[in-house]
Amino acid sequence: MQSRKPGLYSCSAGFRFFEWRYYYMHLAAHTKRDLILFSAPFLLVYMAFLVFPVVYGIYLSFFDWNILSGKVFVGFRNFVQAFSDEKFKSSFFHTLQFVALSTPILIVVGFLMALISVRPTKLGKTAESIFFLPYMFSTTVVGTLWAWLLQKNFGLVNQLLQAIGLKGVGWLTDPNIAMLSIVMATLWWTAGFNMILFSAGMKQIPDEIYESARLDGAGKFVTLTRITIPLLKDTTLLVVILQIIASFKVFGQVYVMTGGGPYGTTRVLVQYVYETGFNYFKLGYASAMSMILFFVILVISAAQLLSSKDEGQ
Amino acid sequence: MKKNRLVLALGLILMALMTVGAQKPIEISFWSLFTGGDGEFFDAMVKAFNESQNEIVMKTDTVKFTNYYTKLTAALSAKNAPDVVVVHQSQLVNYVPNGVFLPLDEYVQKAKIDLSTFSPAPLNSCKFDGKLYAIPLDVHPLVMYYNKDLMAKAGVTKVPETLSELISAAKAIQDKTGAIGIALDNTTATYKAYTLTRMFMSLLMEQNTTILDASNKRANFNNEAGVKAYQALSDMVNKYKLVPKQLDYDSSVSSFKLGKAGFHFNGVWTVGAFESQSGLNFGVVQFPALLGKNAGWTDSHTFAVPVQKTIDPDRIMAVMKFIDWMTQHGEMWAKAGHIPTRTTVYSKPEFKNLPHRAEYADAAKNTFSAPATPKWGELYDAISDSLEESIALNKDAKAALDQLEKKVNDILK
Repeated sequence: MQSRKPGLYSCSAGFRFFEWRYYYMHLAAHTKRDLILFSAPFLLVYMAFLVFPVVYGIYLSFFDWNILSGKVFVGFRNFVQAFSDEKFKSSFFHTLQFVALSTPILIVVGFLMALISVRPTKLGKTAESIFFLPYMFSTTVVGTLWAWLLQKNFGLVNQLLQAIGLKGVGWLTDPNIAMLSIVMATLWWTAGFNMILFSAGMKQIPDEIYESARLDGAGKFVTLTRITIPLLKDTTLLVVILQIIASFKVFGQVYVMTGGGPYGTTRVLVQYVYETGFNYFKLGYASAMSMILFFVILVISAAQLLSSKDEGQ
Repeated sequence: MKKNRLVLALGLILMALMTVGAQKPIEISFWSLFTGGDGEFFDAMVKAFNESQNEIVMKTDTVKFTNYYTKLTAALSAKNAPDVVVVHQSQLVNYVPNGVFLPLDEYVQKAKIDLSTFSPAPLNSCKFDGKLYAIPLDVHPLVMYYNKDLMAKAGVTKVPETLSELISAAKAIQDKTGAIGIALDNTTATYKAYTLTRMFMSLLMEQNTTILDASNKRANFNNEAGVKAYQALSDMVNKYKLVPKQLDYDSSVSSFKLGKAGFHFNGVWTVGAFESQSGLNFGVVQFPALLGKNAGWTDSHTFAVPVQKTIDPDRIMAVMKFIDWMTQHGEMWAKAGHIPTRTTVYSKPEFKNLPHRAEYADAAKNTFSAPATPKWGELYDAISDSLEESIALNKDAKAALDQLEKKVNDILK
């Protein structure tokens, strides 16, 4: 295990930053210049479209601003307001609900898909394409597609159910089911991405390990639980972190499929931020709520990364 | 050879001079929010306007409705909005106080647009502090649609005018034909259940009660009128079971369109779609006086002129000509279902020959607009969500109105 190269998606990247700095310091001047020149186009775009908006968002969260009028400094009022805002609390709760429901299933299904697709057979290749295909669609396409399929009165799913004598289900209009329908659509849409990460990790496990295990008489199940899963630890951690972040940011498919309904029971935090900012034009308050979400994601990701490093090394 | 070239060169010079001599048409940019059904009719009108004269060319850019106001606000803030934009009357209050639209009185006078030919209600709702900030193209009020064939089948001979008549007619249709009694959307799907709020506001106004108090600072429905209005709505769904639960907007429209519903409450904008449905024999009337006098919620599409970095009077006069032409040709816009705002349009044979329009032209007289507060967008969403919840959970009037009042007052605070 010691000889294993850091994986393509290895989580230890952050901890290797200092090593890279060490290398960088000993590079020739012209090499340094080239490095900077080559990364400049990306860095410019990155600054303009990511770093600047983030910093500006932090700045805005301390102001009252409706885009058309002047900004008014309000200190921490926007943050205080969030904690007494019922809609913020319920939206945050719905996001947590989505994270709790979607994360485990997306990871497990992504893993199972990877197990099928890494097989060097025709079936494996076909399965990989099929599993990954939905991920290439845009949110709007996925949302609209599932909204049509699951529509209560005219949707295909209920038409089929009725054809075999069952009663139609309020997939998107029953408050007890709507969130599950969104999770289902998300699973179909994004599990393929987790599959790609897992199968990249699986492909890095040397064949010799499996071979020697086979010689020792290990069955398929034992190989899976004793070799594949333990050796995928880094990948799994990455998938878990990325998935939790992605699930916290859920918005598009909810907005298209249920519009947050029925009566706001699936309204998620990013949707509320969007509505507050771009429908009600309360840019400062919307930024403050985004900052709270950012902070929550930051804390959770950092905690996961640190706890796994503690036990691993 | 040389001579030929000389002739050619002279010809070219002559042509160039002619182009300079002829007046170049002025190009005016505009944004509209019409997609789907309305869009076709609007585009056709703009095309007809461009062909009707050779001084002005209108360049359109239709923005997807869900992003329209976001994009418009950003453009207004950067002062690079187009020369003229379409804005809902209910949205004007978000913009006018910020000084991003031009007061139009002076230009209207110069362009000799006869304001006396406009219906007063929609025109007055575009005035702020006595100044005119927009010119209404239409009104599109809440109306009641009814299916004539289903009514005949169920033996209903009269279009209902009161609450009890509506209930018994819908019940007869539901019992005898198996169709939905009343198609009224009451759940959020791709579209929020705004119809509930529109109905609630109309039922309040029928009892001379506005949804907010006169200063638009507090809720004004937690009273007898509010109880009656909520009860009427909730009873249609929960007591008489004439409205299917969990019916979303698209299903509500589709079920009426497919002839599977006796009555349907919606804005006039679906008239065009219903007309294109073969085999659907329907009628439209103004929102019936279920709880008192006739009163129906309405909104209105208006034209407004964004303030530019530099104000060019020639461009604004061109815009005025466009607005004048568009409102004078309301019969073309009426094809989409909307009610024209200029009374001169009503007497045109092209308008009179349109089916249904005369049946609900009355509606324009008994309408009212949403309260003029910049918080209306947020209130509209919150009220629709809350009514949806209360009706879905069959809450009693007191619990429903208490919850609604708290939400509304919290937002207005």
